[in-house]
This record gives sequence, structure tokens and C-alpha cells, in this order.
Amino acid sequence: MDFLSDTVILSRMQFALTAIFHMLWPVLTTGMGIFLVIVEGLWLRTRNPAYYHHARFWSKLYVLNFGIGVATGIPMEFQFGTNWAAFSEAVGDFFGSILGFEASMAFMLEAGFLGIMLFGWQRVHPYIHYFATIMVAFGANLSTVWILIANSWMQTPAGGEFVNGKFVVQDYFQAMLNPFSGHSILHMFFATLETSLFVIGGISAWYILKGRNQEFFSKSLKIALAAAVVVAPVQIWVGHVSGEQVRRYQPTKLAAMESQWDTIPAGQAAPWSIVAWPDEQGEKNDWEIAVPGGLGYILEFKPELSEPVYGLKAYKPEDRPPLVWLIFYSFRIMVGIGFFFAALMLVSAVQWLRGKLSVDTIGSQRWLMRAWILAAPLGYIAVECGWIVRCVGRQPWIVYGQIRTAEGVSNVPASNVLTSLTFFAVVYTFLFCCVLYFGARILQRGPNLNLPVPDFEGRLPVEVEPAEHLPDSRPAEAQQEAQP
Amino acid sequence: MDPLAQFLPQVWFFILALFLFLYVMLDGFDLGVGILSLTSSNEERRGILMTSLSNVWDANETWLVIMGGALFGAFPLAYGTILNGLYIPIFLMIFGLIFRAVAFEFREHAKRKLFWNYAFGLGSFLAALGQGFALGSVLQGITVDAAGRFAGSTWDWLSWQSVLVALTLIQGYVLIGSTYLITKTEGELQDTHYRTAKIAALTTLVGAVFITISTPIFYESARTRLFQEPFIYIFAAIPLLGALLIWLLLRSLSRRQERAPFIWTILIFTLTFAGLGLIVFPYIIPMSVTIYQAAAAPSALVFMIIFMGFLIPIMLAYNIFQYIVFRGKVTGGHYE
Repeated sequence: MDFLSDTVILSRMQFALTAIFHMLWPVLTTGMGIFLVIVEGLWLRTRNPAYYHHARFWSKLYVLNFGIGVATGIPMEFQFGTNWAAFSEAVGDFFGSILGFEASMAFMLEAGFLGIMLFGWQRVHPYIHYFATIMVAFGANLSTVWILIANSWMQTPAGGEFVNGKFVVQDYFQAMLNPFSGHSILHMFFATLETSLFVIGGISAWYILKGRNQEFFSKSLKIALAAAVVVAPVQIWVGHVSGEQVRRYQPTKLAAMESQWDTIPAGQAAPWSIVAWPDEQGEKNDWEIAVPGGLGYILEFKPELSEPVYGLKAYKPEDRPPLVWLIFYSFRIMVGIGFFFAALMLVSAVQWLRGKLSVDTIGSQRWLMRAWILAAPLGYIAVECGWIVRCVGRQPWIVYGQIRTAEGVSNVPASNVLTSLTFFAVVYTFLFCCVLYFGARILQRGPNLNLPVPDFEGRLPVEVEPAEHLPDSRPAEAQQEAQP
Repeated sequence: MDPLAQFLPQVWFFILALFLFLYVMLDGFDLGVGILSLTSSNEERRGILMTSLSNVWDANETWLVIMGGALFGAFPLAYGTILNGLYIPIFLMIFGLIFRAVAFEFREHAKRKLFWNYAFGLGSFLAALGQGFALGSVLQGITVDAAGRFAGSTWDWLSWQSVLVALTLIQGYVLIGSTYLITKTEGELQDTHYRTAKIAALTTLVGAVFITISTPIFYESARTRLFQEPFIYIFAAIPLLGALLIWLLLRSLSRRQERAPFIWTILIFTLTFAGLGLIVFPYIIPMSVTIYQAAAAPSALVFMIIFMGFLIPIMLAYNIFQYIVFRGKVTGGHYE
């Protein structure tokens, strides 16, 4: 139990715990924001109240995730100072500015329009409301861009150099557009979208299986499916390109992802292990099942490599990522889920073309609906696994090749970190259960199809005098159901 | 010193002060309403209190995130050192903010609301307490080594001065929360908050008097500074102006004006803030690290002004728009 008195390990555990937990919520809200823009746009275009009710129903789940996303995002930012002060001081000129941009450009945009999006339905004109919805979705996705720029820079630092341990920026745009930025942003963008689409599809499938509101939910399932037709294959391609980049810029991470101990020279066939058990002490895999030529096909679409792939043994033990098995299996789980999504999309699209997803027939597609329900949580798992590969694979560096994680830590006694870590573990577990509980309650209640639809031409709600809002004396539950 | 290397940190000191001020004022009334919710006599009242915040709390809290990001980017050394030194108060604040943030949504869905009522009220209190300790100990000074890095110990932030600052800040938040609620409510609930505003005005005044008197007595560095010309005139003027503003506030409360108390409170906050700024400047960690020592490279500061500076008016504009959309009294427990 030595780690209990090691500030570095405890701080890393705390950052990992808070990041893994925080990520669950924005992954859904950034993707679902785009879905809400789509359904509200469909409403404005078709004036079909069904789409309005879609916007209202899904935004209930949206806000449940949003609040906890905000709450758990704040510790992320402050931990750089509380737990990683030396890192903050060394890279603040660039890294800190990027976090500042995220807050002022993206986060505030989202926060500034969220109130109107959630509560402004009867107070502003529908077009202004739509603008607010777009701004919320745009802000959330812009957040992803800035966070990914910051993280990518930690993976492939560019645009300046380290002088006496402090990063001096020479070219900000080069630093922002570091080698990892572009594809990482796309990969994460599609990840949030894909996760949300399969959550929306999965929840819709659940209602369809239960025989509740089948017409309503076959609509949202089809919207999610139509979007997945584009997103699922593109994501596989973007993932592939990201893998090629890892090979080029972070060879130690690639070696850990593949649990590759010996270097495979150019011109040789490169096998790919489907499963293996890495033995870090013995510097070998205890056992493995490998596809001959597999790695060559993955990296270069041919069995023999044109450039060598370096194995972990090519690096000193202190320069290798720890927990090779974790990186190895996280990568495989992520890839597996990506392909499962594509396959599910394909089967569903075929059924759709065969006319099996109409309101009358969709209820009989029981296995397909079960597969969609199964898919609902998988996106989260894939995203978390991807980030484990990305950030555990970066170790032992906090800034790849430049600053070691152990050098970035704050001057804080281990007992303090242990205390805050314990609090986080307890509080976050509790909150996780609460979200599941309250989320289930929202689903039990289902969509409210009686909500009055705002009108376009009549009274402009902005002109309503506050005095006209009479107190509502009914119990809270009744108020939520329908406004007079 | 190179004029640019002098000017840019000053600009960022000012911008940061603006962010901090907006945060203290906006999340101040927000947290104040949260603390006041602990005194609400029934669920309906608590519902109204929370509804009065539901569309703005998130944007208000975002100023804290922006302030954090800007401090990190513009003064990386100060960001690392202050947060490192204030490990415990920062996490007090963070856990408080977590509980109050989730309470908004969870209370809405919960059948038994008691737990979430306390999560909201006590969370707000804890967040304010953490901020008060942080403010108090930054003003008191943080122990640093020659390079400006934190070199103190775990409990440095806890002293009777920081307790005094924390209690006064909480009173200030309750005051601005009460005057905000006066503008947003009517009837019995409004009466209650006329009363809480009056009490909070007096307790804040007591705290402010204590701090004003004790600072020059116990801090040599502050004393030498305060009793120099031309500072002495400014620092003589601030308490006098403050007393005048408190008198105007109390008068508007007894005349039962609706908007004036909130405005007087904001002016009191502004004055206090200006006073603190004058004591602190040009230090970012009072009396040990100046803004020039802690500042990022001039190129970084320019880069940040280009990307962030022009956004300040835009951010203010859409925040104000949101307040306009939701202006008026909150009467039911919900917005629809």
C-alpha cells in the first residue's frame, strides 16, 4: 500500500477518477445538443408538433446530464493548480490560455443561452429560441475543440521549446495546430455524436419494445439511425488515421496498445495479437493469439511493414508506459464497440429499406430493438477506453517527451490528496446512482404530448407583463405535467 | 522595465479583477440565495427561490471558470502557487459547488426533497466559506520560496483573520442575495427578505469595520502602505463612502424600495473591491509575488487579449439578454 503515501500516484488517481466521471456527462450533452438542433429545426420547418415534443422530451434528459457535467467540470480546471502546480507553472503560457479560451468562448456561450433554451419556450419567439439552442450546441462542441487542443498539445507539444523547464511559445498557431489536434478533435466530435445517437436510439428502442409511444419513438430512432449511417463509418476511418499518427509521434504508446515487446523491422510481416497477456517484468507476452500480418494490414494495408514498428524493449523501462494490459485491452474494447456500432447501423438500415421500421412493423423487430438497447451504454465505454489509451499511454510523461508526470505535481502532502480522492470517490459514486435513478424516473414518465405548442404569429411572449404570471397553487408534480 | 512588460500584466490584472468582481457579484447573490434557502419555511418558498436562479446560476458560476482560466494563462505562477497553497479551501468550495449544482435538477425530480434542500443550502454555504477562506488567506499572504512557489504548510490558510474574512464574505453574499430576492419576489416572501437584508447589512458592516481596523494594526506591510501619501487619502475616503452607502441601503430598505437596495449593495461591493484592489496592486500574491514576476510572456498576454478580450462585451451582452428575458417577479415554483 505504498501508493497511499505517494502524492504523484494519488494525484494521478484523483485526476483519472474525476476525468472519467466528468466525461460521462458532456459526452452526452455535446452530441445530444446537435440532435436537439435537428429536431427543433424539423419542427420549425414542418410545424409538426411531434418534433416540438421531441425537443421537449429529450431536453429533460439533456438538462439532467448538463447540471452534473458543469458541477464535475469545475474540479477538472482547478486540479491543475491544486495538484499539478509545477506543471501549471511550466506550461501555463500556452496551456492556461487555452483553458481560458474554452471558458470564455465556449463554456460561457453554452451557459449564457442554456436558460433560454430550457425555460424560454413561452418567453421568446421560436426563432430566437432556435438560435439559443444552436448556440448551446455550438458552445458545447467548441468546448470539445479547445479541450482537445489542450490535450493534444500535451501529446505532441509544438510551437515552441522548453527553456529551463518552462515552455516558451514561439508560434501560438503552430502550438494549437499541433500534429494531434485535427484528428483528435474529429475523433472526439464523432465520439460524442455517436454515443448520443446510440443512447437516443437505445432509449427509443426500449419504449418501442415496451409498446409505449411507438409512433413517437420510431421517429427518434430513425433520426438517430439516419445520422449513424454517416457517423459510424466515418468514425472508424478517423480512428484509423489517429492510430497512424500514434505510430508516428508516440511509438511507446503504439507498442503498449499492441503489447509489442520486440521491434519488428521493416520488410517483415507484422502479426497482430487479438488477445494477449503482457508480462511487464518478463518483457514478453505470457500468451497471445495473433493474426499473421495483421498489424501490417492495420497500419499500412499490406502484410509487410515499410518502416519498423518499435517494441517496448527498444525503450528504457522508465520511459515505457505502465499498465500495458490496461492500454492493450482498452484499445481493443474501443475498436470492438466502433465496429459493433457500424454493424448495428448497417443491419438497421437494411431493415429500414425493407420497410421493417414503420410504425406497424417496428414492434416486431424484437432482436434489433434489444441490440439497440445493448448499444446505449457502449458509447460511454468506448469513449472512456479511448481516453485511457490516450492518457495512460502517454505516461510516464505529462507532456510527451518533455516533462515527466512526477515532475508536474504540487507541493501537497499525500494525506490531503488521499482525503480529497476519497471524498470524490464517495460523492461521485453517490451522484452516479442518483443520475441513474432520476434518469429512470424521467423515462418511466415518458414524453408529455399535451404540452401546448408555442405559436409563431400571435402574442410575442416577450411582451407578457410579469404581473400576468399568476401563482400556480397546484402541487409540483401537476405543474410539471401541463401548464394551463 | 520594458514598458510593454509593465503594461500587459497591468491590463490582465484589471481584466482578472473584472472577472472576479463579476463572479463575486453574480454568483454572490446566487450563493446568497442558496444560503437563505436554509431559512425558508416551506417547499413552495424554496421552489420560488430556486426558480429565481434556475436560468442564471450556470452562467454566473461560469465567471469563476473564466477567472480560473484567465489566471492560469496570464499569471501561471500565481495560479499554481495560490491553488497549491489553498488546497483545502479550494476543495471545500468545489464540493459545495458540486452539491448545489446537482440539487437544482435532482430536487425537481425527487419525491422527498429534504436531502436536496440541504444539499443546495449547505452546498452554497460551503462554497462561500471556501471562497472566504481563500480570499482571507490570499490577503494575509501565502508563504513562498525564492522562485515564488508555495512553500507553506497544509493549514496555513486557517487563522482568525481568514475566519473573519470568510464570515464577512458570507454575510455579504446573504446581503446581495436578499436584495436580489427583494427584486424577484413579492408579498410575504419579499417581507422576509427585507428583514434578512437589514440584518445582513448590519452584520456585514460589523465584519467590515473589524477588517478595516485590524488590517493596519496586524499587518506591517499593509500599514506602511496605507499610511503613505497619496494612499492615506484614498483609504480614508473608502470607509467614509462605505458608511454613506450602507446608510443609503438601510434607508432604501426601510422605505421598501424594490430595486434600490440591490443597486446600493452592488455599489458597496464595488467600493470594497476597489479598496482591496488598491491594497493588493501590483501584487498578485500580496506582498510576495508581483504581477510582473508571475506574468506569462508578453506574447502570451497579447495572444490572450486577442482571443479573450474582445469577447468580454459579447459575453456581457448575451448574459444581460438572458436577464432581460427572465425579468420580473417569480411567483410559481417553475418556469415553463
